[in-house]
Amino acid sequence: MSDPLIEVRGLRRSYGGGRTLLGAEKPVTHAVNDISFHVMPGETLGLVGESGSGKSTAGRVTLQLEPADEGSIRFEGREITGLGAREMKPLRARMQMIFQDPYSALNPRMKVGAFVAEPLVVHKQDAHPDRVAELFRMTGLDPAFMSRYPHEFSGGQRQRINIARAIALNPSFIVADEPITALDVSIQAQIVNLFQDLQDRLGLAYLFIAHDLSMVRYLCQRVAVMLRGRIVETGPVEQIFADPRHPYTRSLLAAIPVPDPDRPRPKREIFDVSANIPAREAAMAEVAPGHFVLQP
Amino acid sequence: MTFFKELARSKVGMAGFVILVLFVAVAVLAPWLGLEDPTRGSLRARMVPPDWWGPHPLGTDEVGRDILSRIVYGSRITLMVAGAAVVAGGIVGTFLGILAGYAGGITDRILMRLVDIQLAIPLMMLALLVVAALGPSMVNVVAVLALTSWIRYARIIRGQVLSLREREFVQSARAIGASGWRIMLRHILPNVLTPALVVATLELARIIVMDAALSFLGLGVQPPNPSWGRMLADGRTYISTAWWAVTFPGVAIMLTVLGVNLFGDWLRDYFDPKTRSAR
Repeated sequence: MSDPLIEVRGLRRSYGGGRTLLGAEKPVTHAVNDISFHVMPGETLGLVGESGSGKSTAGRVTLQLEPADEGSIRFEGREITGLGAREMKPLRARMQMIFQDPYSALNPRMKVGAFVAEPLVVHKQDAHPDRVAELFRMTGLDPAFMSRYPHEFSGGQRQRINIARAIALNPSFIVADEPITALDVSIQAQIVNLFQDLQDRLGLAYLFIAHDLSMVRYLCQRVAVMLRGRIVETGPVEQIFADPRHPYTRSLLAAIPVPDPDRPRPKREIFDVSANIPAREAAMAEVAPGHFVLQP
Repeated sequence: MTFFKELARSKVGMAGFVILVLFVAVAVLAPWLGLEDPTRGSLRARMVPPDWWGPHPLGTDEVGRDILSRIVYGSRITLMVAGAAVVAGGIVGTFLGILAGYAGGITDRILMRLVDIQLAIPLMMLALLVVAALGPSMVNVVAVLALTSWIRYARIIRGQVLSLREREFVQSARAIGASGWRIMLRHILPNVLTPALVVATLELARIIVMDAALSFLGLGVQPPNPSWGRMLADGRTYISTAWWAVTFPGVAIMLTVLGVNLFGDWLRDYFDPKTRSAR
């Protein structure tokens, strides 16, 4: 087995804390609480969980858009936690992020051509219109759109513009934070196909953050399930779908709609999240090759 | 152009715009309007009442200077001082507002406490102090007016930046490794220009009044150069015998401020996407 492209160990990130002016303690939220995962080159790891489970925070901290409180992140064999902006800059070209809301992810006052070209300009690479046009074509956009402003585009087109910007520097790793959640269902499949197409052509690895499990099954090789800042189960995607071990994973899978009214729905187990906060001392155990479950 | 089409649909906005354009045009064209020298008096023609078709349409002041001419030449100085002060205050205030909002932390705290401190001092008193200390000159007056003005931009712009900073396109700029300066200039500045422009129109009106007040107190542009506030101060003594000496400069101030405010109100609506789509 080759080395992972990115390896995260024991990552923690919490918000709040400290004291108010009057000395009262502010509550601490552990958004990400001791998680570990890795992504191999060219692989897609799905990160799933409900709202507030810490998926997005995990994605942002992995790219060092926010500092980690604790833990290590090794990217292409190099420790990146604690690097300054200057040391981080060359690495920024290798790892990119695609955001959930395609409306808020584009600068409304910038022509989309300039927006896609910006990473090239920042990294002093060739930002010739021909290169930008090539990026537009790669993401299924008409290069004639380059001189337009974001408000003239639909949600799907905007997400393509974001993708074009993210791949401009030929990264090896992309964190996609619920990139299709805000889109029409009819558009979602197109964007997912674009993700796969770009993965095949550019050898990209994705950390695909989602809560739509059927999309994760379609796109990802491995999946990690997050609950309250912890990863409770991780493993190959088919293995998890066939044999979910953690009660939370089982309840997530049971919630997937079955598109055939005649087929019996799997028996639903309602999982009470608030009564099942993972214990602090809980540890992962390997139940099958590559399939880990947090032990209660 | 959509700007003028939209403007034509608002009577009030159009009125403000026309008043403003008229005043600016007259100020620019003053030397070619065939007016009398605003600084040369004639003791034989002191306190001549307004005579609409005569040589002194708005009358003369206590040393026989033509009031119309003084108002027109005074508008050059007033508009220049006010314009320069708005631009200077706007640039400084917008820049510091962006810096406070984007950098946050200690920078933000220092700048905002500075704003609070300045807000606690009456602006007029601050202006008086500075002009009295540095001496009255056009540059000093501009500097003082800009000093009273930057805080309004800084506060509003900072608030805008706080919400912009969390927008995903700013996060995305950080993800590509763009520097803080680049993010502030390319991503934040263009998105706060609209509120800055609206503040600028409101500030322009306030600064014109304040400039007049400073001149009225003798701390503005020095005689014999005409300025509206100065004319008010000089004419005040004769208000019972020569009402025109104080009325017409007052009307000029009022009209300019009114024009700026009407236009500024419309401008705010024009740039607000919500009212825009409602039309």
